[in-house]
Amino acid sequence: MHHRTFHSVLRLFLACMFMLTAYSCITEDTFDNTPQGNFDALWNTINEHYCFFGQKNTQYGLDWDAQRARYSSYITPQMNSSQLFEVCGNMLRELRDGHVNLTAAFNTARYWDWYEAYPANFSDSLQRNYLGTDYFYTQGIKYKILPNNIGYIYCPDFDVSFGSGNLSAIFSRLAVCSGLIVDVRNNPGGQLTSAQALAECFINRKTTGGYICHKTGKGHDSFSSPEAITLTPAEGIRWQKPVVVLTNRHCYSAANTFVMYMKACTEATILGARTGGGCGMPFNSELPNGWLVRFSAVPMYDVNMQLTEEGIDPDIFVDLTTPDWLQGKDTMIEAAFRVLHASPL
Amino acid sequence: MRYAMSRQDSSDYSDTLFSRCIMNKVPAILFLLLVPILIKAQGKGGDSLILRTHSTMLGLGRINQLDSYLSPLEYTGPQVRIVQENTRPTRLLRGRVSMQNLIQANFSYTKSPTEDSKYLSGMLDWNLALHYMWQPAPALRFLAGPQLGMHGGGIYNTRNGNNPAQARLAIDLNASGLAIYSFRLFNRSLQARYQLDFLLAGMAFSPEYGQSYYEIFSLGQEKHNLCFTSPFSAVTVNQLLTLDIPVGASQMRIGIEHVMRQTHVNHLKTHDWTWLFLIGYVRHFSLVKP
Repeated sequence: MHHRTFHSVLRLFLACMFMLTAYSCITEDTFDNTPQGNFDALWNTINEHYCFFGQKNTQYGLDWDAQRARYSSYITPQMNSSQLFEVCGNMLRELRDGHVNLTAAFNTARYWDWYEAYPANFSDSLQRNYLGTDYFYTQGIKYKILPNNIGYIYCPDFDVSFGSGNLSAIFSRLAVCSGLIVDVRNNPGGQLTSAQALAECFINRKTTGGYICHKTGKGHDSFSSPEAITLTPAEGIRWQKPVVVLTNRHCYSAANTFVMYMKACTEATILGARTGGGCGMPFNSELPNGWLVRFSAVPMYDVNMQLTEEGIDPDIFVDLTTPDWLQGKDTMIEAAFRVLHASPL
Repeated sequence: MRYAMSRQDSSDYSDTLFSRCIMNKVPAILFLLLVPILIKAQGKGGDSLILRTHSTMLGLGRINQLDSYLSPLEYTGPQVRIVQENTRPTRLLRGRVSMQNLIQANFSYTKSPTEDSKYLSGMLDWNLALHYMWQPAPALRFLAGPQLGMHGGGIYNTRNGNNPAQARLAIDLNASGLAIYSFRLFNRSLQARYQLDFLLAGMAFSPEYGQSYYEIFSLGQEKHNLCFTSPFSAVTVNQLLTLDIPVGASQMRIGIEHVMRQTHVNHLKTHDWTWLFLIGYVRHFSLVKP
C-alpha cells in the first residue's frame, strides 16, 4: 500500500518536473538596441500606454499608425544618436502634449507650444513690486498682506508636500485680510496631492472636484469607468472670504488641476489667461538604448466630464498690458484688487 | 512527562534532516531519475528520530527582474538573501506529517541593460508547509504536501516619476515536495536534499494596466487590484538543493536556490528569476523522554 502511494507520488513529482521544463517564462516583447528597434519601442510604448489618442484624433485628426509610417521612413541603420533623437522627438511632437518627453543625456525632446506660443503674462520683476523682499516664505509658498489689506499667495509649483500646519499657518496670518489672491501663474505643476490640499482650504463640505480613470489594457479606448475625486475640507483654518486665482498659459498639470478644483468647488474667481492644460498624469518608460520616455497615462476630467487637456478658461480674461508694465503694475493683480474690493464680504 | 532539548552529533540525524534544497529544473529531473539508482547504492542509513531542525543560510546570487508597470526592460544585478528554516514533527497521521516554516528575506540592486536606471527591491517570503513522509528505503525519504505562502515587498525605480515603484503582495497555495537522501562519503555522513515548491492558486495585488498609485492610495480607488493567480497567470517555482556536511560537532549546509516568481495579471507582466549560492549551518534538536 505504502509502495503504491509512494510510486504515485513519485510519478506525480516527475510529471510536475516535466511540466516545469516546459513552462513558458513570462517576458515582455523586446526590441533591439538599434535605430529601428528603439524607434519601434518608442512608437509601441506610446501606442499601448498613451491616454489621449481619442481626444487628439477628434481635435486635429491624429493618426498614430500614420505617424509610424511617416517617421519610420527616416530611420536608417547608419544614423547616429542625435539623428535618431531628432526623428523620435519630432514624432512625439505630433501628440501636442506637454507631458510627453524623450530624455537622452544630451537633450530633452518636448512640446512646449502650450505656453511658448502665448504671451507670458507673468513677470517676476512686476511681482516684486508687490511682494517686495519682506514676504513670508514656507514650503515654496511666498505670501504677504498687501497694503490694501488684500492677502497675496504665490505658489510657484506643487513640488512640495504641504503639511496641514503650513497651510493653517498661512491662512491664520492672512485671516485679517478682506480678500485673497492666489497666484499660480508659471506654476508647471507637481504633486496632485499638494494641489488638492491647497484647494481643500477653500471648501466647507465634501465636494466632487472632478473624475479620474486609467487605461485597463493596450487598446486606445481601453479605460476604466471614471471615478469621482472627492475633496474633503481641510482640518485646519479654511478661507471663507472672497478669493481670486490668477492664471496664465504656464499654469500646467497639477496647477491646472488646482484651477479645475477651484472653479468647480469654490466661489473663487479665476482671472487671467487660459491655463496650459495637461490633465493626463504622466508615466515613464524607457527605450532599449536607455532614453527615458514620459507620456500622459491617467486622464482627469472636470465635474462636467470634460478633459481639461487644452486648458481652462478663466472667468475674467486679463492680459498684462504694456502701459501697466511701464508703470510697474501687474495688470492681473490690479484687476484682482478691483474684483475683491467689489466683492461683498 | 519531562522534556529536555539536547544537541546531538550530526551523524545521528542524517536521515531525518528537513533542510532545504536548491536546484534548477534540469538537475532536478536528473536527480529524480537517479532515485532508483541511489536507492540501490545506499547501503544503510541511520533512522534515529529527529524532531526539530533549524537552519540559517546566507545567499548571494543574481536576479533578472521584469516589471512592465515600471519598464519593459529586464534589469539584472546581485541579490543577497537570508533563508531561515524550521521543521518540527506533528501528531497528524501517526506522526508522519511534519511542519516546515520557511522564511526568506532578500534585497536586490539591479540595473537596466544600459545601466541608465536602477531598481532597488526588497522582498519577504513566509511559507508554511505540512509534509507527509514516505520512506521507501532506509536512506531515502520523500515528503510532499501543501504549502501556504505569503509574499510581500516592493521595487523602486530610481528615475520614474508617477510610476516610481511597485508593491508586491501575494498569498500562495503551493504544492511542496522534498527528496532527502543520506549517504556516506569519505567516512562522513552527508545528506542531500532537494525541495520543489510551485504555485497552485493564490491571490496577488496588482495595479491595473495604467492605474496610478495616486488613485489607489490617495483616492482609495482599489477595484480590480486583487487578482486570482494560477499556474497559467503566475508560474511560480522555488527550487532548493542543499548538502549537509558535518564539520566538527556541527553541520554546515551549502546549496543553490532557484526562485522563479512571475505574474501576468491586469495585462502587466512581472518576473523575478533568481539564482543563488547559499551557505549556512544546521542545528538538530530532539525531544528526549525520560
